[in-house]
Amino acid sequence: MSRVLIVEDEPQIRRFVRLALHGEGCEVTETGTLREGLALAGDTRPDLVILDLGLPDGDGLDFIRAWRAWSEAPLLVLSARGLEADKVAALDAGADDYLSKPFGVAELLARARALLRRRGAGEGAARPLREFGRVAVDLARREVRVDGQAVHLTPIEYRLLTLFLSHPGRVLTHRQLLREVWGPGHGNSGHTLRVYVGRLRHLLEQDPTQPQHVLTEIGVGYRFESEAAPT
Amino acid sequence: MHNRFPKRVASLARRGVPGYFLAVAACAAVALPVRLLAPWLAPANIVMLFLLAVFLVALYLGRRPAMLAAFLSVAVFDFFFVQPHFSFAVVDAQYLVTFSVMLAVALITGQFAARLGQQAEEALERESHTRALYEMARELAGAVSVAQVAETTQQFLEAGLGATASLLLPDANDKLHAVAEGQAVSQDFSLPRRAYQRGEPVEVLGFSGRGVITLYLPLLTPMRARGVLEITAEAGLLHQERALLDTVASLAAIAVERLHYAEVARAVEMRMAAERLRHSVLASLSHDLRTPLTALVGLADTLLLDVDPATHRETAQALREQAMALTRMVNNLLDLARLSAGGVVLRREWQPLEEVAGAAIKLLGTALDGHPVTVRLPTDLPLLEFDAVLLERVIGNLLDNAAKYAPAASPILLEAHLAQGQVEVSVCDEGPGFPQGLELLEPFVRGAAESSQPGIGLGLAICKAIVEAHGGRLELANPPEGGARARFTLPLGSPPAIDEEMP
Repeated sequence: MSRVLIVEDEPQIRRFVRLALHGEGCEVTETGTLREGLALAGDTRPDLVILDLGLPDGDGLDFIRAWRAWSEAPLLVLSARGLEADKVAALDAGADDYLSKPFGVAELLARARALLRRRGAGEGAARPLREFGRVAVDLARREVRVDGQAVHLTPIEYRLLTLFLSHPGRVLTHRQLLREVWGPGHGNSGHTLRVYVGRLRHLLEQDPTQPQHVLTEIGVGYRFESEAAPT
Repeated sequence: MHNRFPKRVASLARRGVPGYFLAVAACAAVALPVRLLAPWLAPANIVMLFLLAVFLVALYLGRRPAMLAAFLSVAVFDFFFVQPHFSFAVVDAQYLVTFSVMLAVALITGQFAARLGQQAEEALERESHTRALYEMARELAGAVSVAQVAETTQQFLEAGLGATASLLLPDANDKLHAVAEGQAVSQDFSLPRRAYQRGEPVEVLGFSGRGVITLYLPLLTPMRARGVLEITAEAGLLHQERALLDTVASLAAIAVERLHYAEVARAVEMRMAAERLRHSVLASLSHDLRTPLTALVGLADTLLLDVDPATHRETAQALREQAMALTRMVNNLLDLARLSAGGVVLRREWQPLEEVAGAAIKLLGTALDGHPVTVRLPTDLPLLEFDAVLLERVIGNLLDNAAKYAPAASPILLEAHLAQGQVEVSVCDEGPGFPQGLELLEPFVRGAAESSQPGIGLGLAICKAIVEAHGGRLELANPPEGGARARFTLPLGSPPAIDEEMP
């Protein structure tokens, strides 16, 4: 059974998040303040933290940094739409994903499951074959096939793809992707990253203008979904 | 504007050496032919011809050349035509009387003729002044900005008097500024301020040369001084034309005052329009926000009272839809508030349009309500510089509109074209088109007032604000082939180079 800590000052939101996670069979602890949240995090050692960025007694970023100092467990941030810069800051500080308010139970559970599963399975588990949509990737042979046809990817395109594959369902910020694929010192090459993601989509997506797997999180980064969302 | 005072130039030339030279020439012109015809002419008629020459000289060249001509005529008559010839000696004493009378008549007619000529010339000069003033007054009456008033006044004084002039007007703090930058002679405004505050002219020796003065004339109107006219020119000229300058100043004053009151009237009108808008905003907001709220309360109560679990699911679904509709409204309200507060800093980055289009479609999700969206972008579309979050709102709102008003399941087309330094992005649907005669791009104007479609008439207003902040334009049209088309432009720039991989 997974332990989840909710740090959110609005009791009604806490309530429905708790009910939803209970339904998933999680053990839920909750609090409305940052200070108590950190104390509880130390006591209960949760497998997932759900954190509201706008808490009355402090900056959510402080919580993330303090938490990351001693735990690797995933952290999901709740934030209002339009505060993209806050989300990016939280993700760069070590948060794993975010949800924009208002959000539905279905979205919440999908994110929570993805984060908990990652922990369970262990990232980059030794599964050399990955499949999504009409794409099959053989990580051991560095081969990519679309509808059974081998497709040539440049080294950067391939590195980008493997990075997405190893973080399914998670949002990766522009900065994280640039650092991982191009290395440090490419902080201002956001446009290059976007062009490469576009090329990847043209190679792998059915309709690159309406991608199903390499999704854009506007103002934040990208998210890879291995299963196409029903539209 | 030039040649407004042609006579002035002529009269200056007349007083110079050429006048005397011409007077001598006139006498010579009479003397030569008369000398040849002398055997057939009576001395009395020769005198008459000389008098005619003096008269003409007086009329066209003025008093002094006429006097010269008078004396010269008598001398020439004596020298060439009176016995003994080629000598000033006179045999017949009768000629002394002829000389005296001739001289007297020449001088007197010369005087009269010169005065006549001068008066005619002054009349012409006055007329040209009046015409120039009239033209300036007409231009001032049609001026729609103080800059135009300043320009007209400057050009008039420049062409007329060779003077440099500039218009100094008070700002909101009653501090004087030159209308055109860098036009004022002095950077120290204490002298014009004195003229402005006391309402009387101030004169100072010019900075730019000897004999040059600067005159500050207050622009007086019945209520108060409206500014100061600064004129720099030759001192003598300024004093001579003082009445003209006063007229110019008062014409400029009237023009400035007229513009002031036009501005006041426009401000009042805008305040009234803002007031009307506030009323309509409140009315429409209270209706459009209360409707989904009422539905939310009612649906929640239904859940409480309804004992049949079979209908719970349906009610909960309706509850969710209402809440999401309310969310979109609140988002739009907040967006517009942020945009119109002017506090939005665009986070412009170079990026492909394709990405933001895909994100907008994805975000709308179920709100697209089964309308298939086709995205058609040119393959050579370069990167564009825009704020992705805001542009996603634009595309999202346009798609949302199309989905709301077009018939169920009809296709929506999102396409882009390259055109003359910009990209045109259009969203086309197969709906009934935009209603005519409505300012749909204004906030709180809805195509279908109080319709069953939820909304508060902000979507397009937000799109317009965002597109214009990016230096583009948003247009709505109903193309002849049917449906509605919302099209916005974005400027093309020079995108940065891509860090390509080493092969």
